[in-house]
Amino acid sequence: MGRYHFVFPRWSNLLLPAIIVFALTAPPYVVFMVAWGFSPRTTDVGYMPTQPIPFSHAVHAGELGIDCRYCHNTVEHSAYAAIPPTQTCMNCHLQVHPNSEKLKPLYESYETGMPVEWIKVHDLPDYAYFNHAAHVNRGVSCVECHGRIDTMEVVHQVEPLSMKWCLDCHREPEPHLRDPDLVTQLEWGWAMTDAERIAEGTKWAEINQLQPSQDCSTCHR
Amino acid sequence: MSSLGNGNNNGQTYWRSLDEVADTPEFRSFMHREFPSGASELLDGGDRRHFLRIMGASMALAGMGIGGCRRWPEEKIAPYANRPEGTMPSEARYYASMLELGGVASSILVTSYDGRPTKIEGNDSDPNILGASTSFTQASILDLYDPDRGRSVIDRLEHPEEPKPSNWKAFDSWAKPHFDGLADVDGEGLWFLSEATTSPSIERLQRQLRKRYPKATWVTWEPLADTAASAGLDHAFTGNWRARHDLSQADVIVSFDCDFLGQHPDELRLSKEWAKGRRPKMEDGHAKMNRVFIAEPTLSITGCSADERLALSPDAITVLAARVAAAITGNQSIAAPFESSGIETPQVDTIVADLKSHAGSSVVMAGSRQPRFVHHLCALINESLGNAGKTVSYMKLSPSAMTTASLPELVESIKAKRIKTLVMIGGNPAYDAPAELDFAARLGDVPTTIHLSREDNETSQLCAWHLNRTHPLEQWGDGRAWDGTYTICQPLILPMFEGRSSIQFLAMLAGEPLTDGFDIVRTTEAELSGSKDQSAGFSPRWRSLLHDGFVKNSGWAMESPRVDGSKISRGAEVTAEGLQKGSDATAVFASDYSVYDGRFANNGWMQELPDPISKLTWDNAVVIGPSHAKRLGIKTGDMVRVVVGSASVEAAALVETGQAADVITLPLGYGRRFQGRVCYDSGFDFYPLRRSDAMWSAPARVEKIEGSYILARTQNHWAMDKVDGRGIEERLPMIFREADVTTWEKNPGFAGSLGHKIHSLSLWDDQLQYEGARFKWGMSIDLGACTGCGACVVACQAENNIPIVGKDQVRMGREMSWLRIDRYYRFKESSAGQFETDQPERVAIQPMLCQMCENAPCEQVCPVAATVHDMDGLNVMVYNRCVGTRYCSNNCPYKVRRFNYFDYFRREPLRETGMLQVQPSYYLRRQSGNDPLRRMQFNPEVTVRMRGVMEKCTFCTQRIEAAKIKAKNAWVKKPEAEKASGIRLSIPDGTITPACAQTCATDAIVFGDLMDTESKVSKAHADSRSYELLGELNIKPRNRYLARVYNAVEGERYPDDFHGHGGHGHGSHGGYGGHGDHHDDHHGDDHGHDHSAGSKDH
Repeated sequence: MGRYHFVFPRWSNLLLPAIIVFALTAPPYVVFMVAWGFSPRTTDVGYMPTQPIPFSHAVHAGELGIDCRYCHNTVEHSAYAAIPPTQTCMNCHLQVHPNSEKLKPLYESYETGMPVEWIKVHDLPDYAYFNHAAHVNRGVSCVECHGRIDTMEVVHQVEPLSMKWCLDCHREPEPHLRDPDLVTQLEWGWAMTDAERIAEGTKWAEINQLQPSQDCSTCHR
Repeated sequence: MSSLGNGNNNGQTYWRSLDEVADTPEFRSFMHREFPSGASELLDGGDRRHFLRIMGASMALAGMGIGGCRRWPEEKIAPYANRPEGTMPSEARYYASMLELGGVASSILVTSYDGRPTKIEGNDSDPNILGASTSFTQASILDLYDPDRGRSVIDRLEHPEEPKPSNWKAFDSWAKPHFDGLADVDGEGLWFLSEATTSPSIERLQRQLRKRYPKATWVTWEPLADTAASAGLDHAFTGNWRARHDLSQADVIVSFDCDFLGQHPDELRLSKEWAKGRRPKMEDGHAKMNRVFIAEPTLSITGCSADERLALSPDAITVLAARVAAAITGNQSIAAPFESSGIETPQVDTIVADLKSHAGSSVVMAGSRQPRFVHHLCALINESLGNAGKTVSYMKLSPSAMTTASLPELVESIKAKRIKTLVMIGGNPAYDAPAELDFAARLGDVPTTIHLSREDNETSQLCAWHLNRTHPLEQWGDGRAWDGTYTICQPLILPMFEGRSSIQFLAMLAGEPLTDGFDIVRTTEAELSGSKDQSAGFSPRWRSLLHDGFVKNSGWAMESPRVDGSKISRGAEVTAEGLQKGSDATAVFASDYSVYDGRFANNGWMQELPDPISKLTWDNAVVIGPSHAKRLGIKTGDMVRVVVGSASVEAAALVETGQAADVITLPLGYGRRFQGRVCYDSGFDFYPLRRSDAMWSAPARVEKIEGSYILARTQNHWAMDKVDGRGIEERLPMIFREADVTTWEKNPGFAGSLGHKIHSLSLWDDQLQYEGARFKWGMSIDLGACTGCGACVVACQAENNIPIVGKDQVRMGREMSWLRIDRYYRFKESSAGQFETDQPERVAIQPMLCQMCENAPCEQVCPVAATVHDMDGLNVMVYNRCVGTRYCSNNCPYKVRRFNYFDYFRREPLRETGMLQVQPSYYLRRQSGNDPLRRMQFNPEVTVRMRGVMEKCTFCTQRIEAAKIKAKNAWVKKPEAEKASGIRLSIPDGTITPACAQTCATDAIVFGDLMDTESKVSKAHADSRSYELLGELNIKPRNRYLARVYNAVEGERYPDDFHGHGGHGHGSHGGYGGHGDHHDDHHGDDHGHDHSAGSKDH
């Protein structure tokens, strides 16, 4: 019987089917997990860093109703919607909450002339050249990329900002277009039905003869 | 000879280089391989196995590290605390400013992003610059960010061998008592040694200095100054005069060794005017264009484009000028003293006849290598022909406000111990002063020496104080253009290393109350304009001056005084006596096209810019003609000893065509002893051979010595004519198309009828992709106007963040420039398939960049679709998709794609050790890419490419996109009714200019929208001279060339059959001698048959 000591036990017969099942399921599983796990939708959406000053867009843009362009005043003329200089904040905050502890970095900046260093939330790769002016002038609202900033206590990313996501809109822009005069009215159109919204977008696409480009050279230089 | 050399070359044969004519193994290897041998080896000293090991390891690491990279690093935004009105972060702004080179100011327009200057262009509203710029101007931006700049004051006062970093405060506290003491003795023993400058502020400060130090002396030293010209004009008109030529009125231009297209302080305007006359026009049934004669000892940029070129030694050119002058003025005493010299000068009669028949519309000019006698003669000839006041006028310069002296006088005074304190402003005399003065050694005899300089250079290192000077973009200043136009220099950035400008420094020495640059310039300006409102900092006049950068019509008065001919005969006798006799060879010194007098030696772009003639990078060499070299047994790369008088220099030899008999050329400005990371071992210093009495040419002896030297030349790289034998013969005349103006007159479409018919049947439905396109970008390059100066190459490098790769990498054919300038020679064939390589018959120059083929061959082979077309017809390169197969480069018929073998800009973190090390030897010193200072130059609108990706010309897509966005935004804002009326969205012609076209002085490059039939580029494409390069491949390039037309004396040089497809009749063909006629027999209408038959016959 000694020679049977080295015979595989009976349960080992299950190994082969187990390996086959594993081999068939594991690669798709890995592929799926990696694709899903590393997609911008997973990694970037919801990114909400803590800023040096707990600035609330909900208060300023929502409650107080300050227009986006009061602070981000280069958005219609420049590639970047510039973060406002300290000076702009001080237009009000010389009077409002002059002793606030939370605003200390702001007052320091005002006195020293050194910038308040904000953390970038909507961060595109350096090889992608997005241009704000090109979009807002043609009726793409802030809300299409940034979401309802006017309701956010702390700004976070709501869209993946991936290339596919950009291209989705460039291929079918109608649901995302509106009167260029209304781009900063973030609550506009929320009550509309899909059909109404698309009809409105189609109208503006035709008026402005929009042909969103899908060329590589549009965003990559 | 190989089949290359066999007859049947349609009367013209082009060669890339002398190597090709000789068919050397090196040349063959370049032709047979897509990339030169060794180019596919990734690492020096490494091999493929090493590469695999590294790759394996990096994959393993990538697997482990993947968990960490969930989101890219946190980025911060730092907004202004107080944003200046009107500024927009990250938007480019443009400011007018000024650069001064050799005492001549040029007005510039500087691009600045967020207070960071990134690019220099010529000021397009300045009539002297006309928006163009030279390669030096383009490269000056890199000097601002040179990591080797002087970063502080350096104190060698106590311990010369132990330089001590100091600061301006320490210098000020030392200088105050020192200069007060000098003022007490009226400036006795105080000398100034300055580079040439025409700054009105310095002129004003000189008057102040004279008040404070009445006995001080001012010396100006500029190694490349054209002193002979001012001396000649002094003889002609008495006083300090300067000539201004107007080529727009000149139909015949005769140049006695004056490189007016390549190395003249006023070259941009001259080039533009010359180019206007190069576009042939039909007038009264005859073709009209200008004609350029040049006599020169060595091939220059002007020589390459001249219609008639005579290669003569400097002495022979002098004799030629004398004979021409004698014939024109009828004064035989001018030429008589030279008759005994026995020097023969060809073409005197032709030149004289041409000049006489174009009296009043011709011009004669002389270069700095010619003695003052010849400059005097030129003034005389121009006057006799009635050119004065038409094609040439003269401007009187004001004398210096201080007592002046020459450099030899300064050295004499040092020897006599008369100099106590020597203040040097700019320049580098310890490196470039005439050899016999032994300036560097004498400097030690001066008790106190102070040098204000951009870098701690050869001279600074011998001085008690090195004072770091600001870059022109960091300072206020002023200057005068060639014609005296008052030009202003405004700072774009605060001094990065707390340097001071020349005017600040001089104001301090003059004891001026105002030592701020702004105040000094403002005071000068108020004085010049005669206004009283000095206190008002920003008057409208001052504002418009800053906006424009110069004051219109503020130049010197143009005069045409009578020439004093009394000194001519004496001048002829003296000059004839001075002719060099009985020397083996003549050495001529040349100002280098890349480094000027040496001041651009530490500029990587200029070092890597191939010389327009020899295509040599990173070095200079002794240039020797082929038969001269053969006689001495010298090959390119051999070490030779050049002996001039008692001095000798050992240097590498470079055999190049176009040298006058027994003339060797010594380009100046290399071999710097300054340990800059770019210039530290490039080239050879020929200044030790240069003496005050022989500044530009000298009798010399050349001998071969042991050893060899590796030169990195790009002339055989990126060859389009890779096909062996027949291919080369057939293709080159097709690639570069040119004809004499008489041919053009008969058959203006000669260029289009040349070459094979295109088979228009395409494999793909190639127009489908452009359906609905709003623009159709195209380019046109005028080969008749291109001088090959290379400014576009540097402009492209600056605009598109193109790295330099260093000498070793250039040798492997890895240079990255997107735009290259091909240069071909045409040699006359002598008997038995031999070519006369001593002189090129004609030099062809062709800028080569991505032709944006509509049927792009590169796109068809890319496995990952990294290169694709966009709607507007641009062939775009997607760096992120590229996996680096290099198939596209293989398949590109123009060879314009460049591969990043390394991460040339070296991103952090740098792995210097371990398995993943990036071989630091590639980056250290040569490549200053990783320096944070260097990075400030980057154009933020262009991606900085990584290792392993292909790149190429984009037609400056970033400029196109910016213009498109601007135009579309404006269009959207129009009233709805207007938008609904169906007008086409268009961008006005001329709005978009690629960097190369913008800098081009001759407007050879034109870019625009082909959909707009009225655009310049559409018109250029419709021109009779227009042709598609390699159009027979049916790749439909969007760039077309305009064939060159030249205006040779002998007229029709080609047999008519050559243009056979055009179908005009047989006529007589003059010129070309027996060789040309001999080959005519072979020419039929069918090239292909002709060649295959002919090439085996010999």
